[in-house]
Amino acid sequence: MSQAAQPQQSGAVPHRPAQQWVLRQPFGKREIAALLMVSVLLGASARHIQIPNLVLLTTEWVAAGLGLKKTSQIGKGLGRFASGAFPMVIAQATPVSRIEGFDRANLPLFAHIEERETRTSRYDTEQNRMVETVGREEFVVEPFGYLVYVFGKMLESLEMALWGTILALAAGLPLAYLGARGYAPHRIFYLFSRLLSSFMRAVPELVSSLVLVLAFGFGPMAGVVALGFHSAGFFGKFFADDVENADRASQEALLAVGANRLKVFRHAVLPQVLPQYIAYTQYILERNVRMATVIGIVGAGGIGIELKGRFDMFDFGHVSTIIFAIFLTVLLLERLTQGVRGRLIGV
Amino acid sequence: MVRWRDATKTFPDGTVALRAVTLDVPKGQFCVILGSSGAGKTTLLRTVNGLVTLNAGSVEVDGTTVTPRTLGEARQKVAMVHQSFGLVGRATVLENVLDGALSRISTFRAMLGLFPERHRRKACALMQDLGLDEGHLYRRASALSGGQQQRVAIARAFILDPAVVLADEPVASLDMTMSQTILGLLRDTSARRGTTVLCSLHQVDLAKQFADRIVAMRAGGVIADGAPGDVDDAALGRIYSQDESGGNGTVPLSSPLQ
Repeated sequence: MSQAAQPQQSGAVPHRPAQQWVLRQPFGKREIAALLMVSVLLGASARHIQIPNLVLLTTEWVAAGLGLKKTSQIGKGLGRFASGAFPMVIAQATPVSRIEGFDRANLPLFAHIEERETRTSRYDTEQNRMVETVGREEFVVEPFGYLVYVFGKMLESLEMALWGTILALAAGLPLAYLGARGYAPHRIFYLFSRLLSSFMRAVPELVSSLVLVLAFGFGPMAGVVALGFHSAGFFGKFFADDVENADRASQEALLAVGANRLKVFRHAVLPQVLPQYIAYTQYILERNVRMATVIGIVGAGGIGIELKGRFDMFDFGHVSTIIFAIFLTVLLLERLTQGVRGRLIGV
Repeated sequence: MVRWRDATKTFPDGTVALRAVTLDVPKGQFCVILGSSGAGKTTLLRTVNGLVTLNAGSVEVDGTTVTPRTLGEARQKVAMVHQSFGLVGRATVLENVLDGALSRISTFRAMLGLFPERHRRKACALMQDLGLDEGHLYRRASALSGGQQQRVAIARAFILDPAVVLADEPVASLDMTMSQTILGLLRDTSARRGTTVLCSLHQVDLAKQFADRIVAMRAGGVIADGAPGDVDDAALGRIYSQDESGGNGTVPLSSPLQ
């Protein structure tokens, strides 16, 4: 807000008739200069980020949609994905030859055996050209096989998010206690806790999981630690801020009956901040579910690696199944946590 | 039971809240500290449980001088009822009453919220004495009316049978009828247990109605002291008079509720 909009402080103002009172304009030269400066900076940044090009491409796309133009770059790109994305792939076919100890009499649920034509291309060095051999091979087709596989992987992502959040709570609560003025046993603890929280928050999960995959190996362990690390920093800050802002009267009342700081924290502060803590935890859990799908891409477990693999092979039908699974999971989780929250804080 | 000797307190901003107050309150007395805003009533009370530390002089509770070292001991003997109740609004009534016993249970038990059965039974008995019933047990404190909240606060104050109860403007946010009910409850509850009560008020008529003794304060000093019948109206009038600068320079034009 501009300084000029603030009401004038009384005290220094001499007593004058109302006609002579000095009135300020809502904005002045300073504000206009600042606005111009910001515009120039944004202009420079827009060129850097190719904003004009973005506008151009989008206009072209809209024009194509209205039939004013034949094709557009955005339309082509989206069309390419859309043409492969539907129908979504939910079945899975596995060549019989690749199944170890295959038992024809004992197939998985709903599965059947199908003979399919297979084409394999190889480079014939004698004729110096590609030759295609056509053969027939038996496949075990599971009609919901891929869907089951995707939801299995999605469940792994979900569990990663859950454990990441548990880890973050376990680290974030003590960080918050030590990082709250009035509860930190010493200023050193306060500074250390606040600094650590900032650092943990500053490292994005995708970056930390790159390193953590080296430490813990491929798989969900690295993901859980990466998610927990970042979220603990978030909890450390926001939990501590809430403690500092909590109503003082009840804390003082319990201090006066001779309760120590930990008891005051538990009985006067925690009941006050709990609804906020639950809201933060809910947000972090949802966020961790989304992040868990992404960090899988660098090998930290969950559905991400499948998404990346399928995308790189242009299997857009599979990709759309995965995206659908992520979307559905996040949606259901939100419904669920909202219900749990209502029960816990009674809204 | 409570004894001040030349108790002096100046706040960092230069406000003089107590000017060499010397006062003796015997066991079982219902002593009302009367004065307008800024007279030093609250500060005087808060020196007893160490929420305010004196610059000079001393305060003694049950023979023990209150120092940072003896503070823990003093706080076990002294309970407080606050002007704004000081309840934890989102906690239940029962939890709020039990919070008064926090100093007697281990930190581990406190973390789990496990109070011994005798404290829980005591809380129920006190609640009943104060006109609360079973239906109030698990309601949120913030859901109660002002008068009921103050009953909860009084129950919390008495749960450990303190020797002294400090009541800092306990009825400031209540209407006249409710004020009389609450002060009556406070008086009866303390009389039954022989508890010493130091109660700050700014309403002269309430003070005369409930006090065993009235100590009138102005600008950090005691200007009158005696039984309600002995404190003459002229002295009480001076509490609210406008001459000589008060503690914070503002004095109400007339006594409230008159």
